[in-house]
Amino acid sequence: MTQRITIDPITRLEGHGKIEIFLDDKGDVANTYFQIPELRGFERFCVGRPVEEMPLLTNRICGVCPEAHHMAAAKAADAVYHVDPPRTAKMLRELLYSAFYVTDHATHFYALAGPDFVMGPDAPVAERNILGVIHKVGLEIGGKVINARKAGHTVIEMIGGRKVHPCTSIPGGLTKGITNEQRDEILKLGQWAVEFGQFSLKLFNDIVLGNKAYVDLILGDIYTHRTYYMGMVDENNNTNFYDGKVRVVGPDGAELVKYAPQDYTQHIAEHVEPWTYLKFPYLKAVGWKGFTDGKDSGVYCATPLSRLNAADGMATPLAQEEYEKFYKTLGGKPVHQRLATHWARLIELLYAAERWVELASDPEIASDNFHTKPTEIPTEGVGIVEAPRGTLTHHYTTDERGVLTKVNLIVGTTNNYAPISMSIEKAARSLIKKGTVVTEPMLNMVEMAFRSYDPCFGCATHSLPGQMPLQVTIRNADGEPIEVLKQFC
Amino acid sequence: MKTLVIGLGNPILGDDGVGWAVAESLQATVNRPPSTVIETASLGGLSLMERMLGYDRVVLVDSMETGQSPAGCVRVFPLASLPDPGPGHSASAHDTSLMTALKTAEQIGAAIPRRVDVVAIEAQNVYDFGEELSPPVAAAVPVAVEKVLELLKEDP
Repeated sequence: MTQRITIDPITRLEGHGKIEIFLDDKGDVANTYFQIPELRGFERFCVGRPVEEMPLLTNRICGVCPEAHHMAAAKAADAVYHVDPPRTAKMLRELLYSAFYVTDHATHFYALAGPDFVMGPDAPVAERNILGVIHKVGLEIGGKVINARKAGHTVIEMIGGRKVHPCTSIPGGLTKGITNEQRDEILKLGQWAVEFGQFSLKLFNDIVLGNKAYVDLILGDIYTHRTYYMGMVDENNNTNFYDGKVRVVGPDGAELVKYAPQDYTQHIAEHVEPWTYLKFPYLKAVGWKGFTDGKDSGVYCATPLSRLNAADGMATPLAQEEYEKFYKTLGGKPVHQRLATHWARLIELLYAAERWVELASDPEIASDNFHTKPTEIPTEGVGIVEAPRGTLTHHYTTDERGVLTKVNLIVGTTNNYAPISMSIEKAARSLIKKGTVVTEPMLNMVEMAFRSYDPCFGCATHSLPGQMPLQVTIRNADGEPIEVLKQFC
Repeated sequence: MKTLVIGLGNPILGDDGVGWAVAESLQATVNRPPSTVIETASLGGLSLMERMLGYDRVVLVDSMETGQSPAGCVRVFPLASLPDPGPGHSASAHDTSLMTALKTAEQIGAAIPRRVDVVAIEAQNVYDFGEELSPPVAAAVPVAVEKVLELLKEDP
């Protein structure tokens, strides 16, 4: 008899994701499928609109990282108009983006990933959340997380005009700058964010690295894949979230390619599977060899861990120290253990906070020179930023009036669709063996495999009931449910 | 007393934008209580909780997908009556549930609203991008506006 296990964390908040685990008649894992129903018609919706609307429209695609879409769209629109924004505009955009990174990474660590470690993967589900973390670590931690989010949102509003969905980027720069008073406040908030980043890394050090069981879990084979890694780097090959070239390194850490945004189609292709609408991007130079890792497989990964692996270091001093410690502790570069992504995320958080301070301290940040008027005839352009959950590519083509004729997006999580699927399958195979009873902690361990990627299934829809519980259905060969587990109280 | 009405959803994703349509219609309504703040948002979980802090009372207007009611059906209920998937953070890939977010805020001493009600409209299509509401959902907008106004007349 074939059994089917479904992990169904359906949420209308950020789209659907469903994991199906098929067991064979011996009770071993036969196959796994990770399905993401796609929202339809975004390209059709955009075509015929002026390209300058894209920074506003695209940040409605996703309720999770509107700031990332705003930035990628702004950069693509700059490229369409062949206009180079002034230094102040670029710095302001990156400053907003750095503040966004701090809030986003903080939320992921404390509300989502942290509970698995702070409470333990075996802890009752009712305790494995941010409330459990507050209960265990202390009330002050809740305040710190809320403060980090508030600080980030304040900066986003000052530069982006709105707290969550920024609206100030236009082709050639921004519609407004900041005052000296705002600069002073942003700087003060950034200094607090640096302390928060250091605090978070110390917490990770004490709770996770100080616990042998967790270190073994991170280093174990269950969550390990040797793939290619992608991340944006600056001219010194240091990680950068807002601008630079996209660098890809192999499982051995050697550079495969470093490409400028406009060249992405030369390097990335997409594979289609019959069981999902979403495509699987892969490296053209290596080729699609199926859901497998290794140097001969074109599967690549684009996550905080990938960005650290693809770079030579971090551009700020405290993050660089942590970067060195990371590789020293985990046995050198590249690190293939997916659960180390949580640690990498906190190093990125500290980098973003330091970069925030660095940019806010620049004498030109409050300058009035925040826009270059486009004068060229618009044609085609590509904008790439590093979204928190992967390299984000926007590609627009317009007519001579700047009206869109073609739109193509490769969003963060799409890059990771193949590696996520592989990680789920590997975790399931390792944990669900002949005769084992599928329990909630075990399913959480499988879910941890995909949670490390911080996946986003992109839409800002909020239809109630908003979030549904995790549901596990085991079915027999006839499709009859023989057992239903629900991961809520 | 400070009251906030938030129209929730994605204004470019078909019927998901109905919360926005109701909020915009309320803005244009002359007999709404003058002290009530009306906003639109595409938020959930922690961010939505943060938007609600400092208000005594909040009304959320949102689309609903139960599959058990005809499209355009309007329901009114307290937030607390929704099943809270919050205990398992796996309920969402990126956020906590609104209820967990509110509990978190309460624990750290933030001023959370004393009363939160929901006015929900059953949606027909929330998978195709577009700015239009489907006809039954569009027809439900004035009904939902009335429900919000009735709620606001009740004691907090």
